[in-house]
Amino acid sequence: MSKYHFSIILLILAACMVQQFSPAIPTLFGARVLILPLVFLCCCVCVDFASMLLLAFICGFLWDAQHTLGAQGGDPAIYADPVESLRFGYSIILYAMMGLLMQFVQPIFRKAKWHTSAILAGVGIFSYLFAEYLLLNFVRGDFTFPPSVLYRIYLSSALTMFFSPLVFWIISQLASSYHYSIRYEGLRQKHRYID
Amino acid sequence: MKPQNLIALLLFIVGAVWALTRSERTVRNIQSTYYSAISPFLKSGASIETKASEFIQEVEHSKKWEMKYKLAKEELDQRRMEVAHLRKLEAENTHLNQALKFQKNVPFHVIAAKIIRRQPSTWWHTVTIDRGDKHGVGVQLPVLSPEGLVGKIDAPSKDTSTVILLTDEKCQVSAKIDGTPEAGIISGLRDTAEGSPHLLLRFLSKDANIKPGMLVFTTGRGGLFPADILLGTIKTFEPGPLFGEAIVEPAVDFKALKTVFVKIPKPLTSIGEIGAATANSTNQ
Repeated sequence: MSKYHFSIILLILAACMVQQFSPAIPTLFGARVLILPLVFLCCCVCVDFASMLLLAFICGFLWDAQHTLGAQGGDPAIYADPVESLRFGYSIILYAMMGLLMQFVQPIFRKAKWHTSAILAGVGIFSYLFAEYLLLNFVRGDFTFPPSVLYRIYLSSALTMFFSPLVFWIISQLASSYHYSIRYEGLRQKHRYID
Repeated sequence: MKPQNLIALLLFIVGAVWALTRSERTVRNIQSTYYSAISPFLKSGASIETKASEFIQEVEHSKKWEMKYKLAKEELDQRRMEVAHLRKLEAENTHLNQALKFQKNVPFHVIAAKIIRRQPSTWWHTVTIDRGDKHGVGVQLPVLSPEGLVGKIDAPSKDTSTVILLTDEKCQVSAKIDGTPEAGIISGLRDTAEGSPHLLLRFLSKDANIKPGMLVFTTGRGGLFPADILLGTIKTFEPGPLFGEAIVEPAVDFKALKTVFVKIPKPLTSIGEIGAATANSTNQ
């Protein structure tokens, strides 16, 4: 693992800390800037597949450590119908899926078309929040999707997306500092395995 | 797929399965460690947020005063400012007196806590308070305000705790309707971003005589919340095929909430006791 990868991990940890200062905006349906998912998505375009999985594990682990709710508690005779919550660790899978999405645009990013990656970061955040809400509905039953949820997801994604050029700039600075070149080695199939 | 990637994928799957199969206790330990690590950031974040809101208020006030300055005499403005300041102090004094009175009057031990962070996650209705294990705050303890029930402690760490609010779907409370034999389970609705949040009281009799404006209190059953704590007032009642459901307006204004009280088993008075509580929480 190179110095660049260590710096990316440090960037992720820093993003986790900065996330603590990002409040929900009540006037925008409780939308907020999701810094940790954004940094993760931007990093995914700039690292190889194995590193992406490592980052997904770290981010998902940290995210769930902060957000997982505990059990209902109390007398089961009274609280006979406890409300289920998402299990610790589900975010690891969701992060990996988002990361995989970003890996597909790596060749475009290499051609210095960071705009596509920035837009896709917004799409990634939208997909993540949408999937999270669907999972929540799945484990709790009674599917509901009020417009306020859609607005919250959309506004969170849009707000977060605006910060992606800044994150890409920080990552490119790190890459140039550590003389790291972003190569596309993702999931390309090599002929020697087919033969 | 390259062998290196395949190995990484396998390791990732093993790691994800490991995380997904952790027990409740292990998850709690992980969360406690995590929150202890980020607690300095949470506190400084809260102070920055307070300073920012004070600054915004100050800017707004400055603009108002500037307009008034052009219209009125300097002396009059000065007096108005003094009156405004006195009113602010009066309001603060009333609030503190109310809090102190509540703390003295409640028939159980409570510890005052300040909300340092609101809604830290996207979907859950939670807040973070500046009291944790070392202050005697434990998991599932009720959180109150002079107006009524606020919620319960979800994840305490050394210095801070996460409170799951009554408006969250996961916070279930055994409730009764005052003046009727009706009792049920009250909880928040899944998403109530629009307007003020409401609560859903379920498992009522389908033919119950429930009218808007009736008060809803805790029953004290279930081992989580003390009895006769105000939850809210009935807004509407809908009789269903098996059970009736009522929409309840919460007694607590969750948006304006600044100070809350955590019901603790016994007050921690001495430094020794606080130290022992900290040691216990570390060992658990």
